[in-house]
Amino acid sequence: MELTDRQRDAISELINIAFARTGSALSELTGHRVMLNAPEVSVHPTTELPAALSKFIPGEIASIHQVFGGPVAGDAFLLLNHDGAVHLTDLLTEGSAPPSGRLDESSREVLTEVGNILLNACLGMFGNLLDVRVSFSVPRLHLETLDELLASLIAGDNEPQYALVVYTAFQIRDSSVRGFLVMVLSVTSLDRLIQEVEAWEERQERS
Amino acid sequence: MKKTGPKNARLLDAALLRWMNDLAGHGILVTDAELKIRAWNRWLEEHSELSAQEVLGRNLLEVYSELEKRRLDRHYTWVLEGQTRILSQRLHGHLLPLPTDGSLSGFSEMQQTARISPLIAEDGQVIGTLTVIEDVTERVAREAELQAQVDARTRSLNGEKAAREEAEEANRLKDEFLATVSHELRTPMTAILGWSNMLLTGRLDQEGYARGLETIHRNAQAQNQLISDLLDISRIISGKLRLDLRMVDLLSVIEGAVEATRPAAEAKGIRLLTALDRRAGPINGDADRLQQVVWNLLTNAIKFTPADGEILVKLEGVASRVEITVQDSGIGISPEFLPHVFDRFRQADPGTNRIHGGMGLGLSIVRQLVELHGGTVRAESEGEGKGTTFTVSLPFVTLHEETRRGKRPAASVAQLELDCPPSLPGLRVLVVDDEADTRDMLRAVLEHCQVEVLTAGSAPEAMEALIHSRPDVLISDLGMPGEDGYALISKVRKLPAESGGRIPAAALTAYVRAEDRVKVLRAGFQLHVPKPIEPAELVAVVANLAGRIEA
Repeated sequence: MELTDRQRDAISELINIAFARTGSALSELTGHRVMLNAPEVSVHPTTELPAALSKFIPGEIASIHQVFGGPVAGDAFLLLNHDGAVHLTDLLTEGSAPPSGRLDESSREVLTEVGNILLNACLGMFGNLLDVRVSFSVPRLHLETLDELLASLIAGDNEPQYALVVYTAFQIRDSSVRGFLVMVLSVTSLDRLIQEVEAWEERQERS
Repeated sequence: MKKTGPKNARLLDAALLRWMNDLAGHGILVTDAELKIRAWNRWLEEHSELSAQEVLGRNLLEVYSELEKRRLDRHYTWVLEGQTRILSQRLHGHLLPLPTDGSLSGFSEMQQTARISPLIAEDGQVIGTLTVIEDVTERVAREAELQAQVDARTRSLNGEKAAREEAEEANRLKDEFLATVSHELRTPMTAILGWSNMLLTGRLDQEGYARGLETIHRNAQAQNQLISDLLDISRIISGKLRLDLRMVDLLSVIEGAVEATRPAAEAKGIRLLTALDRRAGPINGDADRLQQVVWNLLTNAIKFTPADGEILVKLEGVASRVEITVQDSGIGISPEFLPHVFDRFRQADPGTNRIHGGMGLGLSIVRQLVELHGGTVRAESEGEGKGTTFTVSLPFVTLHEETRRGKRPAASVAQLELDCPPSLPGLRVLVVDDEADTRDMLRAVLEHCQVEVLTAGSAPEAMEALIHSRPDVLISDLGMPGEDGYALISKVRKLPAESGGRIPAAALTAYVRAEDRVKVLRAGFQLHVPKPIEPAELVAVVANLAGRIEA
């Protein structure tokens, strides 16, 4: 399944709206100006995720994972490489904590909170669009290699799964930390989402 | 036999509730959809000093009004919409203000991580919230301690590394220095030892004897010079060189240096000429050190100028600076070497080094001494074989001597030890400034030197005084209400000479950028003097202007 340019633009626009809200929530929370943008949006079968996420160099990554359920169900992840995760925490907590250079327990909690805010904003946006209530699990942070993460994703499910992949960048002061937002959905869920996005796009054009 | 069925499920629910209430190691708080507290476990009772009885049925935001103040109530709004929130300790500190004893951790409030989740009925409706609070005070304190240890270790490692690199660099420079020094000291020593050996044998004839003595003397002198240069360099490097600042008459400084080097020049058949502007200066400086500067430049010129060459020493005033120029017709300097001419231990090439000797310390000392005086020195050459010109540019007076000599106590005008140049008494100076205090200060300083001072508070007043009283010198502020100093000078310069149109004038101004200076000089002032002006500087400025009065 591939997105048409039109669909891609519509999803990007929706995600950017969600990101703008997330950015202002994070700015308020941390006292630093935080901007988020979504430079690239794409859809891939989960089996092709490794290629889609090839911007990550090998090594440990930090993932904030939330399961969401309801009429549209799946797994949502914020993926950062290890150094990016450390940098992001340091940037967000600058002034309130000394730069750690490592991911201690308190840093991991910060990441979990930030990932949670971001994932909730995006999924909440889709929920509103589809007019369904999406419920969320408690967010979890994992430190593992990309291969380990992907293996756990692909295994176990018989129905073909698709992933909506958003390449994102957190801009904080003069720094930027890049990562991926990945939403793994069943084909049915994804079809429904894309239909609703198209309908939204049409409404936008009419109004 | 295990129990099964609905009855067992009810028993389990009851057991779970009991565990949650009495045994859980976390704070557990349940509200309904209106945020009325429906469960408050024993852990919360113990840590909050509020019993379940006191809080049950009350609105959470009412029991803890600070939640709204800290805008944490929004998290409950989002949870009631179905989201799950996590509140990290590092970004929030705590959810509920719970006291802690603080003796171990240094925190007076319990540090918390909180998770807030919606409670959802079978039909999907959110019917309440569940908050789980974890006490992370000790963990945070431990992390901070660990971090401090890591930081300290990193710092000490970095510090050691920097210190080691610095020591290695210093060591390398020292080795280089020692190698150069020993080579340079040994060169004259070879001549001294060789000739003294021959003298001791007693086998020299009269002519050889005289030549030997002369050579020993010359080399001993060279070595002596080398040693005092080394001491100077070492003083300058260690910041121990102190200038003895006072008003200096550059004319006599230069003449002294010229006379001291004239024999050496003549011995080599070099003509030593001077063109000294007697109106330049005086400046504020250290006469001995300035003489050393000129002497070094002259010695250098003599060294690099062949027989029948010529050396010209000039002194002239250029705007608010004084320039000393030493120009020779010697071997010149290649463009590649020009930028390094003032570096220590640098000579154009080893070949030259062998012909001319010396360590290249002289010019390095020149630059250091000139810079200590707030001045600059530059070298210019058309290229090899085309001679070299060294130009020392010194500020008319050094304004910031206190930075080198420590802050001087404020002195009243009467206490000032002002050297009043002989040209001042009887001079008539018109001071123009819109501020009465500045006018008074300028007047007091100048009157101390028996200058007759006229004052004006504005440009029109100044014009009137100029035409009627015919002062000798004009000192004017630039920024004045109405007509400013620029307008004033342009009117003055339009007057015929006999009405004072060519009166020497200085602008006093807080605008000190180069372009401001150019503007001032273009407007018709002779000098541009940055504020604040010091008494000695004022006197020097006036003396300089007095030297320009046209007969």
